Amino acid sequence: MRPENYEAVRQPPSNEFELFFGPNHPGIEGNYALKVRVHGDEVRSARADGGYLHRGFEKLMEGRLWIQNIALVPRICVPDPVPMEVCYSLAIEELGGLQVPERAQWIRVMQLELSRIAAHLFTFGGHAATTGMYTPMFWGVADRDLILDLFEELSGGRVYHIYNIPGGVRRELPEGYLERVSRTLDYIESRLPDYDNLFFTNQVFVQRARGAGPMSQEQALEWGVTGPNLRATGLAFDVRRDDPYLVYDQLDFDVPVEHAGDAWARALVRRGELLQSIRILRQVVARLPEIGGPIRAPIPNPLAWNVPAGEVYTRVESSKGELAYYIVSTGGDKPYRVHVRGPSSMHAVQVLEQLVTGGRIEDVAQIMFSLDACPPEVDR
Amino acid sequence: MMTSRHLAPSLEFLLQEIQGIRTKRKGQRRLRVDLSAETLPALLELLKGRAGYVHLSAISCVDWIEQNEFELVYHLWSYETRVLVMAHIRIPREHGVYVSVYDLYKPAAFFERDIHEMFGVYFEGSPDMGKFILTEWDGPPPMRKEFDGEAWVMEHFTWQDYRPEWLAEIEAKGGGITTRPEDVRR
Amino acid sequence: MSELENIPVVAQGGPAPAKAAEEKSGGLFSRVFDELITFCRSRSMFMLHYCTGCGAIELPPAMTSRFDMERLGIQPMVTPRQADILLITGYVSIKTLKRVILTYEQMGSPKYVIGICSCTVNGGMYWQSYATAKKLNEYMPVDLYIAGCMPRPEAVIAGMRELMENIRSGKADNWRDYYRRYDWYLGNQQKLFGERWQTPTDVIGEARHYGLLGDQTLGEHTALLEKHRVPLPPMEMRLGLKQEGQG
Repeated sequence: MRPENYEAVRQPPSNEFELFFGPNHPGIEGNYALKVRVHGDEVRSARADGGYLHRGFEKLMEGRLWIQNIALVPRICVPDPVPMEVCYSLAIEELGGLQVPERAQWIRVMQLELSRIAAHLFTFGGHAATTGMYTPMFWGVADRDLILDLFEELSGGRVYHIYNIPGGVRRELPEGYLERVSRTLDYIESRLPDYDNLFFTNQVFVQRARGAGPMSQEQALEWGVTGPNLRATGLAFDVRRDDPYLVYDQLDFDVPVEHAGDAWARALVRRGELLQSIRILRQVVARLPEIGGPIRAPIPNPLAWNVPAGEVYTRVESSKGELAYYIVSTGGDKPYRVHVRGPSSMHAVQVLEQLVTGGRIEDVAQIMFSLDACPPEVDR
Repeated sequence: MMTSRHLAPSLEFLLQEIQGIRTKRKGQRRLRVDLSAETLPALLELLKGRAGYVHLSAISCVDWIEQNEFELVYHLWSYETRVLVMAHIRIPREHGVYVSVYDLYKPAAFFERDIHEMFGVYFEGSPDMGKFILTEWDGPPPMRKEFDGEAWVMEHFTWQDYRPEWLAEIEAKGGGITTRPEDVRR
Repeated sequence: MSELENIPVVAQGGPAPAKAAEEKSGGLFSRVFDELITFCRSRSMFMLHYCTGCGAIELPPAMTSRFDMERLGIQPMVTPRQADILLITGYVSIKTLKRVILTYEQMGSPKYVIGICSCTVNGGMYWQSYATAKKLNEYMPVDLYIAGCMPRPEAVIAGMRELMENIRSGKADNWRDYYRRYDWYLGNQQKLFGERWQTPTDVIGEARHYGLLGDQTLGEHTALLEKHRVPLPPMEMRLGLKQEGQG
């Protein structure tokens, strides 16, 4: 609806009214809108409205050099930017036939898992806030800040790191970095019982979240749901396990699965993933000092680099689901086509509309946060 | 459960049922398939029904302006066989029309609407072809190669005056900017 | 059933406009009172909780316990009607810009706009993009820019403190500029959105109320507002017995 078309429209008298969970709303994650038609308390239909964060990334990326797009790419998903950088770099490495040195692969895994923990801590806070509990948000954001400190030490930026390039990573780890990572992991692991008491086993949250936005496994497969939302319905599909990239096939981790498919199951799956990420990180921290070597494969002059022609589809498991890039190169110094497939393309649009319908108004915000929909990925 | 080493030959055996298909193995878990636009729905039904390809990961569109064609790529994944099939088809560029696969794969609705907004390709049978992202946009479909985004920006927007103090100090000493940003921007 | 009379509309001429804000009437007491008011206003700012872009991810750290903006008196507020500050956190896409202008006009004066991140200054990283606005202060008056991509929470707090100082000293009154030069702002908005662009807020009436109606408030662009305005037909209100057709 365009604001300039404000005209009073005569509707036949009915019991439904249209409610705007509009762009300026604390119950919507980011800048996104959802128009619901409610009858009393019950939602009869919903329609998602995106495009508020559209920047035309795919067009921008066609006009910049391969190496310049590394600065653009993390901004596609704001809470969890590292998988974007890694996926883009993996795609170009596959096109250009570059072999990433082993040390760089382990450092990339470390970054990905740290970013996953940070994103999940943020999501816990958001999900709790929609049920009326605001303390987990304060705790989650504060604990996430410790991880952002680690990123700042590594790359210079708290949120957007610009640290992965095609070929490897840009800088070596600082002195004593791995001890600081271990200590942060110890601290976060010691905080989990507090989170359990306050949030995961809190009866206020359990009663609100149990049964909110239920999704069966058939529905999830039909709607193209991936990531923690799919694992909450019982299917153990994880891109790290089934389509492995980097060094995930050498790491030992489980894929947590729940069966209920409602908001509480999704929160529990994310909690399980947080524990598994800590487990992966401990293995990485133990192994990294033993691996020496370069951190970057040699690439030609990045300002005049013609990547060989071809097309490639790379997938990565971000904290929200399956993230994929389809890159087409015609042998020039700029990409010919970059198509970003974010996991929230499914979750924030069709799945959200379906799950919200038939529920109550107070569950709309909770369902959106429990699906962990990220609007910048939808709009690109 | 068969591993992907064993299954690719039987998958290629299955694919021979489609007329005029060319397959190419691109990696351990990637299979590229080129076929004509009319036979794609049959391929999708075959893959979904007989080989367990229930997950449509994405539909991408590439604008080959010199060859006057759009290329549509359907990326399909099976949870059992764990091989990603990328099905490439070409459709002519002027009347960019194609049939929708929404009845087979529900995620297709999002991608088809997106391709319609960005490229102008119409998918017959797709449930919603209205605008989703570009509701306030009146111009041509922006992802087409003939649409020059930067020229459009230069025409419609103005830039800030840039007069910082450090520049004034440099200019007082006789220096200045040798290449202005406006000269670099086309 | 009775028909309600037309709700009386305040005539266009209206009561005499308030004295111009520059004239300070009264003596010492009034000036002390004004200074007290600006001091209190600068220490109690309600920030509109509208995350318009990337930079919004650094707002929760700035608001929560580590960097704690609340000790400075800054608190998030969900409705624009009761908010003082509009934070434009990051780039503004054209679709969002329409809603931001609507929101800005709904806020009560005095109101302040902070443009966070470099994208509000001169387009930032997306300067080639067809979908983002480049210069924010062409469309609404901006009081403060905080550069960065994105600025750290400490930078955001430092910017807020500078804004507080500007409010206390009276320098931050760009909200008046919107009423004084409404024609220019509206012209830029119409250039981007089309001629039919209009908002439900009666900015000219508010300008008259604040006594800021100048010779640059009305012009050729505001004349287009009248040309494209669709009058709202009066909706009748019925009291009494239940009507058929209501469930």
